Amino acid sequence: MNGIKKEARRGERLPVKIYRTSGLRNPSLIVGWQTQDAGKFSSRVINFLIEKLGGQEAAKIQPEDFFSFGGVRFKEDLVQIQESKFWASEKGNLLIFKSDEPEFEHYRFLNSLLDVAEHYFQIKELYTLSATVSLIAHTHPRRILTVFNQMGIKKRLEGYGLESMTWQGPPAISSYLLWVARKKGIPGVSLWPEIPFYLAAGEDPGAMKAVLSFLDERFNLHLELRVLDEEMKRQGEEISRLRGENADIDGSIRRLENGLPLDEEEQLKLAKEVYEFLRRKK
Amino acid sequence: MRRGGLWKKMGIKLYRKPKLKHPLMFVGWPGIGNIGIIGVSTLKDILGAVEFGEIESLDFFYPKRVAIKNGLLEGLEFPSSKFYYQRVGEKDVLFFIGEEQPSEGGRMYGRGEKAYQMANLVLEVGLRFGCKRIYTSGACVSAIHHQMKPRVCAVVSSENLVEEVKRYPNTIVMSELAERSEGEGIITGLNGLLLGVAKSRGVEGVCLMGEIPDWLSGASFPYPKASRSVLEVFAKILGIDIDLHSLDEPERQIDEIVESFYARFPTEMKEEYDQRKSIIQTRSGTITIQAQIYIDERYKKGGEEGGEAPS
Repeated sequence: MNGIKKEARRGERLPVKIYRTSGLRNPSLIVGWQTQDAGKFSSRVINFLIEKLGGQEAAKIQPEDFFSFGGVRFKEDLVQIQESKFWASEKGNLLIFKSDEPEFEHYRFLNSLLDVAEHYFQIKELYTLSATVSLIAHTHPRRILTVFNQMGIKKRLEGYGLESMTWQGPPAISSYLLWVARKKGIPGVSLWPEIPFYLAAGEDPGAMKAVLSFLDERFNLHLELRVLDEEMKRQGEEISRLRGENADIDGSIRRLENGLPLDEEEQLKLAKEVYEFLRRKK
Repeated sequence: MRRGGLWKKMGIKLYRKPKLKHPLMFVGWPGIGNIGIIGVSTLKDILGAVEFGEIESLDFFYPKRVAIKNGLLEGLEFPSSKFYYQRVGEKDVLFFIGEEQPSEGGRMYGRGEKAYQMANLVLEVGLRFGCKRIYTSGACVSAIHHQMKPRVCAVVSSENLVEEVKRYPNTIVMSELAERSEGEGIITGLNGLLLGVAKSRGVEGVCLMGEIPDWLSGASFPYPKASRSVLEVFAKILGIDIDLHSLDEPERQIDEIVESFYARFPTEMKEEYDQRKSIIQTRSGTITIQAQIYIDERYKKGGEEGGEAPS
């Protein structure tokens, strides 16, 4: 018996609303987070998939048990609302979920997420999207570091050029979700593309391209990714212009390109200058 | 439903059910200077108390650590909330030690529904074993000089306990502290909340708070000197002698750090501060705020101010 039925039996209110359930057959679930989203990677990949695949709203987790509602957040002058929604895409047989990270009841939230995905959509596997901020230059290829919750799915995804992560420390919500999925017997992987630290406050089309290329190949999505190539080219040209104008910035990026470290002050300066420059050019 | 099933549903796991007679219960959570939890944990270790149960963490806490090796998720580690027991002479003793206070919205000290639930679960286990009295412990932020021996300030759940705690060594009730002559305030966090929950269910409660200088209350390091004072009271309560040498080295290290801050006080400020040695229990004044400037950034506590100290 799955989790939802267990909850229902206990008489607890289900914190979900279902709009549609048909059309998908044992889909893969892709989860992205729009808070603490370095390089806007996760939310942009999810939005890209929903738009290009014609995803249909399928369900949502009701927010009141998980968020404080002490006001409203705004970003770049726009009011942001907490949303935790599922979209169904028959193309690629995907269930896509995008949400803010919950403020309370994390375990119940993650359980509800997977209960909906399992019970109403019978998902077969889980992919989570998060980025890792790295001391690399934007001219470097983006590696995709991975964490699997079972050996089986790790074996199945050999040959895609993914790299294994080794790490100990405070867990991100993607790792927590992966752990809850393992408890439920759902195979899953977290995808952590590297983002150059000086693009983390802005956007990194390079990381998006790397992960979307992987998903494209994995699910035969036939995505048109030229738009990202153009974005990367534009961003590269802008940064080249900044390098031409500012010898310190050029020196710092050159050091990264040669695999050399930067001290804290140099890192802060590079991150600030690149962010401000790209923002002005937008 | 059998009690075992009900408890499981509530998130209480007991590995064994010791036969205890009206045990005293000592409870510790982290707080300012970790005075209470260090006191309770040290007592538990000295007495060699045996772990016998826990409160499941999943519904209360975000995991504190993940281990990933070669691309495989090995596991998550959650803050623990564990019960221990021991017999000391003729007395049975229960311990509860929580590594973190459950809270809402990332606050450091327990508050809200989860904190209330946790306090009730701890009490539930105490009542199951016939516990009639609970001791919690925390910090009493006061205008004490750091070179003085911290006193223990007590708040009790009923009038008849006042005389008893006044007989404890180096202990005063809160109204005897000059800043608190009205005997009023709030003990924030679970070290306070548990006393309220206990009182409402007919269980006696005593909160023993070790003094910490006001200007150190925002520091990130522990204050073992005050834990020692609290432990001396615990020993009196249990009628035993305890060897506190395990606190010697941490106390020496912290003293060294605190003295290094103190050495940087300007002369005038130092003179004003040193008056605390002769005229103790003055109200804390501007010295508090000024002195905090001399604590290095790396030693300042992140997150919210306050804690379990009365406010």
